[in-house]
Amino acid sequence: MNPALAERETAGAAGVMENVYLPKAAVLDRVVDEIHEVKTFYWHFEDAAEQAAFRRFRPGQFAQVSLFGVGEFPTSLPPSPTEEETFFTVRQVGSCTAALHGLKAGDKFAVRGPYGNGFPMEEYRGKNLVFVAGGIGLIPLRSAIVYAMAKRGEYGRIQIFHGAKTPSELMYVPNLREWERTPGVECHLTVDRASRDRAGGEEWTGNVGVVGSLFKKPGVTVPVENTIAFVCGPPIMFRFVIKDLLGMGFEERNIVSTLERYMKCGVGKCGHCCIGVAYVCVDGPVFTYEQIKNLGEDI
Amino acid sequence: MKARIVSREDAPKIVDLLRERGYEVIAPFGGRGRDTFFEPVTDENRGRIQIHLPNPDYPPKRYVFPPMERLLKVERRDGELRIEPTYDEKKRAIFGIRSCDVAGIYHLDRFYLGREFADIYYEKHRRNLFLVNVACTDAEMDIGENCFCMCTDTGPAAREHFDLQLFDLGVDGRGGELMAVAGTEAGEALFTSAIFKKAARAHLERRRVILEEVRKRFKPTTTSWFSAAIQAVSRGEIPDETWDEIGNRCLECGGCTYVCPACTCFTVTDRAVEGEGVERLRVWDSCALSGFTRMAGGFNPRRAVHDRRNRRFFRKLAHYFIERELSMACVGCGRCVAVCHGDVGMPSVVEMIRRQTAQRKEV
Repeated sequence: MNPALAERETAGAAGVMENVYLPKAAVLDRVVDEIHEVKTFYWHFEDAAEQAAFRRFRPGQFAQVSLFGVGEFPTSLPPSPTEEETFFTVRQVGSCTAALHGLKAGDKFAVRGPYGNGFPMEEYRGKNLVFVAGGIGLIPLRSAIVYAMAKRGEYGRIQIFHGAKTPSELMYVPNLREWERTPGVECHLTVDRASRDRAGGEEWTGNVGVVGSLFKKPGVTVPVENTIAFVCGPPIMFRFVIKDLLGMGFEERNIVSTLERYMKCGVGKCGHCCIGVAYVCVDGPVFTYEQIKNLGEDI
Repeated sequence: MKARIVSREDAPKIVDLLRERGYEVIAPFGGRGRDTFFEPVTDENRGRIQIHLPNPDYPPKRYVFPPMERLLKVERRDGELRIEPTYDEKKRAIFGIRSCDVAGIYHLDRFYLGREFADIYYEKHRRNLFLVNVACTDAEMDIGENCFCMCTDTGPAAREHFDLQLFDLGVDGRGGELMAVAGTEAGEALFTSAIFKKAARAHLERRRVILEEVRKRFKPTTTSWFSAAIQAVSRGEIPDETWDEIGNRCLECGGCTYVCPACTCFTVTDRAVEGEGVERLRVWDSCALSGFTRMAGGFNPRRAVHDRRNRRFFRKLAHYFIERELSMACVGCGRCVAVCHGDVGMPSVVEMIRRQTAQRKEV
C-alpha cells in the first residue's frame, strides 16, 4: 500500500473517514433586507450537534451553501463566533444566490463548512485594528469587527471606515449605528453620492467621497504602528486604499484581506480557486497584501 | 520484493485469478488500427488479452476518478431533506497498466488523500483497486512516438506503487517467460497459484540487461531539460513572451487535461432525476477552458489564454507543488503531445522554456 493510503489507513482505524462533500440540512429562520439585492439569511442546522460544531468557526472563514437542483456556492460568514445566531449576507448575482433569495422562512437548504484559514485574531492581540470596507466588503469583515468588540480588552484602538455608493447602500446600518455609539470604537462613514434615496428621505449629513478620503478627515488619526489594517471591497477601492495605507507607512504584511474565487469544493480539490501557489479555499481566503501581491492575478 | 516466473501462456491466467477473487478486471484491448482502449474483461474477450500493445490514449484514471461521478442523492419528502452520499465500492483490477499510469495513479493518491482533506470517493475506488503493471519492453508496441517517461523517471519499468509487475524476459514478444514482481502483500498473495515458478539469479540478470537495452529504444527527445524547466518555472524566470507563445498556440480545447493521467480538476453540478429528486455530480473540468475561473456576476480573474496555459504548466512544473504532493503532476506518458493540435504538449513546452530562458540569460 502506498504511503498516502497507509497514512489514511491509520487515520481510518481511529474513526470513519469524513465525507467532506456532504452538506447537512439547514432551516431558514428569517430573511432581512439589507440593501438593493442583498439580504441576510438567518438559519440553523437541523441537527443541534452540527450547529454546535459549526459555531466554533473563526472570523474570516467561509461556508458552502447548497440549493439542491441549482448548485452550491461559497459565502463569507459575517457573524462572529461570539454571537448566538448563524447567518449569511448574500448579494443576488447568479443562479445559486438567486435560489437562496427565493427561499422563505421555514424552507430547507444545506450547508457545509466552515472552511479556510480565517483572520488570525489571537495573533493580533494587543494590536490596533483598522477595518476598511467598501460596499458589501463589510460582509466578510463584520465577523472580525464584532469579535474584536466582544473581546474589547484584548485589542488596542478599533477603527471602522465604511464607504458606499449612496446612503441607502451602507451595509448593516443597525450595526453601524451601534458601533458609532460604542465608546472606544471609531466608526467613520462616507458615501460617493449623497442622494436622498434612503427610505424615509433622511438627509445625508456625513462625509461625501471615497473611503480613502476619511483617512484625511479632520480629527481622524489612523494608527500605523502596531496596527493591522483589514481591507475589503471592490477591486478599484482595494487598489486605492492599499495605496493610501502604504503611503501612511503600513507594512505590506500588516494589511490583510479576504479573496473571493469561483470554488466548487472548498477543500483544495476542485482546482478552481488556485492562484499561483495558493488554494484560496485552504490557504486563504485571508491573505496579507504581501502574499496577494505575489500571487500574480487580478484581485 | 518477491519475484516469480510465469510462462507467456499462463500470464493471462492472472486475469482469471483476479476474476475468481471478485475483481472486475480492466485491460487494454486493440481496436482498429493502432488505437487501444481499456475495457472490462469478459468471457468473450478474455482470449484477446495481449501483454504488449500501445498504451490507450484515454488514461486509466477514470477507474479512480470517473469523468462523471455521483456524489449525493437528494430527496425532498414531506418537507424533509434527505441527503445521501452514494459510493462506488466495486473491486477492480487493471491488468496491463503501464508504468507512467502507475505513477499517475500514485500522483492522484497524493493529491486526493495526502493533503488537508481526504476525498472519500477517491479513497473508496482506490482501496478496491489492484494494479498489474506491465513494464514497457517491446520497442515496437509499448514505446510510442511521444513517450518521455525516461525524463520524468516514471518508466519504462515502475519501481513501486503497483501490486504486481510483469516484465517480459523474451525479446520483442518472443521467448517464453515473464518475471512477476509483487509490490504489495495483495500482489504476493497471488503467488500461491501454481502458474508462478521460482525465479533464479539468471532471470534477474536478464531483466537488467533487457531494461538497459529498452532505455536505448526511446525516441531521442529534448525533454531531458525537465530539471531546467522546473528551476525556471519555480524561480519565476519564464519570460512573458514564452507564456504568450504557448497561449497563442493553445486552442483551448481542454484535450490535454482530459487525457492527462495526473490532472485532478473537477466541477460539481446538480441534475434532476425523474421521480427521484436531485443528484449531485462531479465532472472533469479543465483549466484550459475560459469559464474555469469565472465567478457569478461575470468577473474572471484569469482572462487571457496565456494566463490559463501558464496555470497548467506552473501547476505541473513548479517545485512548490512537487513538494506539496511529493510527486510531479507529469508522468511522461506523452498523451498531451498526441492530442494537442497546437504542439504545446509538455515536452514542447519544456523545450520552449529551456530555449527561451537560456536565450534571455545569454543576452
